[in-house]
Amino acid sequence: MFDIRRISNSRWWHKKKTWILFGIFLFFVFIRISKGSLYKDFYYFVSRPFWPGKFQKEVILNSVDQESFIKLNLLNRDNIRLREILNLQESSNNDSISAAVISRKTGSWWRQIILNKGSKDGVEIGSAVIGPGGLLGRISNTSLFTSSVTLLTSPESKVGVWVDRTQINGLMVGLADNYPGLILYSKDADIKVGDFVSSSPASTLLPPNIPIGIVKSVSEELEAKKTAKISLLAKPHVIDWVQILKEKI
Amino acid sequence: MGANFERKNLMNKFYKKNFPIILFIFIPVIFLWHPNWLGFLGVQPYWPLFWLLPWAMINGSINGIIFGLFLGLILDSLTLNSNFTQIPGLILCGFLFGRIKFHSDIFVGHFRYGLICSFGSCLCGFLYFLQILFKNSADSNFFLFIPSLQNILAEVFLTGFFAPFFCSQILRVFKLSGAKSTLKNVLKK
Repeated sequence: MFDIRRISNSRWWHKKKTWILFGIFLFFVFIRISKGSLYKDFYYFVSRPFWPGKFQKEVILNSVDQESFIKLNLLNRDNIRLREILNLQESSNNDSISAAVISRKTGSWWRQIILNKGSKDGVEIGSAVIGPGGLLGRISNTSLFTSSVTLLTSPESKVGVWVDRTQINGLMVGLADNYPGLILYSKDADIKVGDFVSSSPASTLLPPNIPIGIVKSVSEELEAKKTAKISLLAKPHVIDWVQILKEKI
Repeated sequence: MGANFERKNLMNKFYKKNFPIILFIFIPVIFLWHPNWLGFLGVQPYWPLFWLLPWAMINGSINGIIFGLFLGLILDSLTLNSNFTQIPGLILCGFLFGRIKFHSDIFVGHFRYGLICSFGSCLCGFLYFLQILFKNSADSNFFLFIPSLQNILAEVFLTGFFAPFFCSQILRVFKLSGAKSTLKNVLKK
């Protein structure tokens, strides 16, 4: 009657299965902590044959060159003249890295793009990413071969912007839809549909005066705040090539 | 020639046996790939559910919870949102899917996958949305996020639309490969 006793093998820590499951769990935790860099590098090699072709890059670069060339000379001259007047330091070299978009999630909750340039190419976390039209987002994570960009439409994104016409600073928040929200912390803020929004000179995250978007609609003020919806100039769902700015703020 | 044939046979057996695991590895790849031509309003079907439903139906709730957790960990690592997680939704789905029995009528069973996956996607979507609302509740900006509910609706529609096709095929493959034994084999090794 009393000869029923526990066999030592029946304890859970003696079971090989438990330890293997625990090992697999630790592996996935490692992947989670490393922010999937192994997986992203794996995806880099798998998706390589499907990257956008060089032809498209040339077409885009030509059109951007033609558009920018005339503006650039004028702006550069103005910039030097104004900086001399204000006794400001020379702006740093506007170095940028060209990168192709190898993965794109522009719908649903997760709004990010993955680029084919990573830490080995000198991409740094926090750098601004621009495409034809203006700002797309910021680099949030890099692996050896890839870098991930949090788009301005992502619910994680919050950047300081200003309205060019009235020069009011505000906060642009990603809302997980195609139109980020602009919050102006003043009930009397003068903002109209069609106003142009660019990165704020007061921002510590982004270089100043990068075009971002146009005010699409303005909501009623609520609790001493005014909110507006912004239509972005750069369309992440169609852009295949982007520039990562190496400029230090 | 005989050795070649044997090697080929062994390879085939290996792939057949480990097909569920190979599919599991490719879920994050398709999640990153984000094929636009399969999307609606820029939203994709919720891919992990297509794998989790057959797996949990064959192997039960505990396995569903474990692999829901694993899927959540991988997918969270690929998305940049460090404040929000997909783990609770996938674990809950893994548990619920494990309690579902096979339907005797193949045709009804086929379309039932659509309904179940729609429900799962709705559950995951709302749990994610609630996290976003909770995080932004302090700033009283949460009302701005209400239009993003369209993401949930589009995802529920697409997941339900594609589930009958994907789930039946994956379930058939799992049954052929003996998904139950695959897990046991993985654990035995």
